[in-house]
Amino acid sequence: MKSSYLRASAALACAVLLTACGGDDGQLLLGGQISGVTKTGMVLTNNGGSDYEVPVPSNGTGVTTFFFPGLISSDDKYDVQVKSKPTNVDTCTLFQNSGRAGFDVTTIQIACTFKTQALTGTVSNLKNDLVLINGSDRVIVPAGATTFAMARVAQDAPYGVSILTNPAGQSCTIANGVGTVGAADVTNVTVTCAP
Amino acid sequence: MKSSLIRPALALALAASLAACGGSDKAEFTVAGSVTGLVYDGLVLRNAGVPLTVAPPTTAGAAVRFAFADKLEYGDTYDVTVGTQPAHQTCAPGVPEGAYYSNNADTAGRLVTIDIAISCAINAYAIGGTITGLTGAGLVLANGSTGGTYTATAPTAGTTAAPFVYQLPTVSYNTTYGVTISAQPAGQVCTIVNPTGTMGDAAVSNINVTCVAR
Repeated sequence: MKSSYLRASAALACAVLLTACGGDDGQLLLGGQISGVTKTGMVLTNNGGSDYEVPVPSNGTGVTTFFFPGLISSDDKYDVQVKSKPTNVDTCTLFQNSGRAGFDVTTIQIACTFKTQALTGTVSNLKNDLVLINGSDRVIVPAGATTFAMARVAQDAPYGVSILTNPAGQSCTIANGVGTVGAADVTNVTVTCAP
Repeated sequence: MKSSLIRPALALALAASLAACGGSDKAEFTVAGSVTGLVYDGLVLRNAGVPLTVAPPTTAGAAVRFAFADKLEYGDTYDVTVGTQPAHQTCAPGVPEGAYYSNNADTAGRLVTIDIAISCAINAYAIGGTITGLTGAGLVLANGSTGGTYTATAPTAGTTAAPFVYQLPTVSYNTTYGVTISAQPAGQVCTIVNPTGTMGDAAVSNINVTCVAR
């Protein structure tokens, strides 16, 4: 008799604890990883509601883990979607974003790509091949060229066009080579070579 | 009496059929696998001290198959390691697709075939230098659009920071870098020396920045 009372009261205590913990919201996390968050405005929804704006990570990478503040219950259906995107995000692709919860859901993957802008400019008086770089992007500008185009750059990213190799017998300088890409193409990088 | 005759006959028949199959009476296993990400020459794999040179693929980006000449018998162990790294790269036993652990060491026969995964990555090194004379807040350095940024910590107001070392994210071998001043510090103009180059086989630490009053 003694032990059966114990069991019952233990079960009751457990139930009380569980209720206290999760309230009526359940006890399972719902989240995963997202990339492309460098600005505010990334709002996710679950089953069309529970709007949650993903905080911008401080390290500038745009990659962060996220969890909905509300917990879900075991056996709940979930369907996470992107409701609105920051202005610099082009498209988001979602993986493993819907299902039925058994354990904490931590495997949702949301990969967002940025809108990109062109990075172009003009060259004058170029008599031999010139090598321009924007970080790891390397472009050979042929002799006689008057324009050049670097690889497209994500919105809000910095750019810095530099000369890796001057043309033979010449020395070039760059104007407007440094800045941050806005919502428009950058077309004013000017390279002037002499003599 | 009858059964004692049948047994030896059976054994003989079995032995004969086995010999007919393989030419040998034991199963053999080839220690083989593939290397992914290999770009440069010089990779030497080793199994039990026996070297095997693996050349890069003719098609860039393709995986390279390798197989050791010495065959193993059932129950023999193998342990394939990287004996010599290729130029400009670091290779190590990788985790095969769909698996959780690397499979470079095991016992022959536990799996039907031996298919070892080795993966190689291009070496990458940090770039950086020394910042001298900084008094204002807001200095940001950038390596192009995708090479990362460095934001200098503002020195205590009214003081000049002692020269200090900064680092930008690593750059892979044979990749260009071009460090520019993305934002000048308050009240100062900074200039940069040795800002551009192509990454070699060592970290770059001479991209120095000097700041003076505007």
